[in-house]
Amino acid sequence: MKNAEEAIGKVLAGLRDAEASPDMERHVLAAIEARASQRTYTKSQWAWSVALASMIAASLFFAIVALHRHGQPPTKAQRSALPTEAVVDSQQALLQPHELIASAITPVRAAIYQRKTPPVSVYESMLLRDMRAPSHPAPVAPLTEEEKLLLRAIHTGDPQVIAMLNPEIRAQQEAKSVAEFQKFVE
Amino acid sequence: MFSTKRALPEIDTVALVESYSRLLFRVAHSVLRSRAEAEDVVQDVFVRVIERHSSLQTIRDMRVWLVRIAWNLALDRRRRIRPEQMDKSFVENIASNSIPADERMAEAQRMNAVLHEMERLPKVERHILLLSAIEELGTAEMAQIVGRSESAVRALLFRARTRLRERLEARGGGR
Repeated sequence: MKNAEEAIGKVLAGLRDAEASPDMERHVLAAIEARASQRTYTKSQWAWSVALASMIAASLFFAIVALHRHGQPPTKAQRSALPTEAVVDSQQALLQPHELIASAITPVRAAIYQRKTPPVSVYESMLLRDMRAPSHPAPVAPLTEEEKLLLRAIHTGDPQVIAMLNPEIRAQQEAKSVAEFQKFVE
Repeated sequence: MFSTKRALPEIDTVALVESYSRLLFRVAHSVLRSRAEAEDVVQDVFVRVIERHSSLQTIRDMRVWLVRIAWNLALDRRRRIRPEQMDKSFVENIASNSIPADERMAEAQRMNAVLHEMERLPKVERHILLLSAIEELGTAEMAQIVGRSESAVRALLFRARTRLRERLEARGGGR
């Protein structure tokens, strides 16, 4: 009984009297210092990361807005600032043939079409230019011989000549000439 | 000496370390029975203090709060190490140097038997017995640490010592 109590007391006393190393406090304070500075660094690093991420997000936002506006048709105010034809002509003068096609589709999709349509060849561009050129009446064709004769007859007004224009009279006249010639020969 | 005061102007961390590090070391050492492990626990406790420095003003009893952290950290660390591995050097340290070598060996065996039987005690009884070894802690503080009433702590302590003594006597009179 006594020995057991004595042994228990000795073990508990050994646990109670355990001494830390003399440098323990210094090590603990050094660890705390390192941790505190690490926390400060981490906080400032986090703040910088947030600021950088915000800047990137803002830049992306403005870039998207700018791209979106570039693809949109001019606003009403912009359109009213210039005469319609002048705006169209000045825009079309700057456009390439494939861009002309794109602008003929819809204003909103034109930008997409411009980006997607590959450039056409010189020959194709000539064809397109001819196709899109304004129409004119065909040039006057030259007169035939009959038309020229008719014109001459009308302008001179000779009744014998005008009568010759009638095929029946002309046939009677030719038959009469043939008969006179036969009579003369016989 | 350290600029920790700049980081924590409202809490004097240096004063905390100077006031409580020895007590926290003994609390951790009672569980781990290793000086190096106990010192690591003390360091971890104060790192926790740094991490929660914003809520330190709301803590009513700093001493009990720190002891509870040290106690829980030591119990957590104990799951990773085997205190039995540390017992040999611990017993060599507490065995008397003034007695002959053969008696010293017998005393070391008795100490090992006590430590072995302590490990076999029910968990709550063992915890109370270990906390009772730290003289600075009163019954009220032990009750707060283990979450029991003071009367329960007293009963558990009595039961633990009785059970330990009986087992040691059954083992061979603690000799």
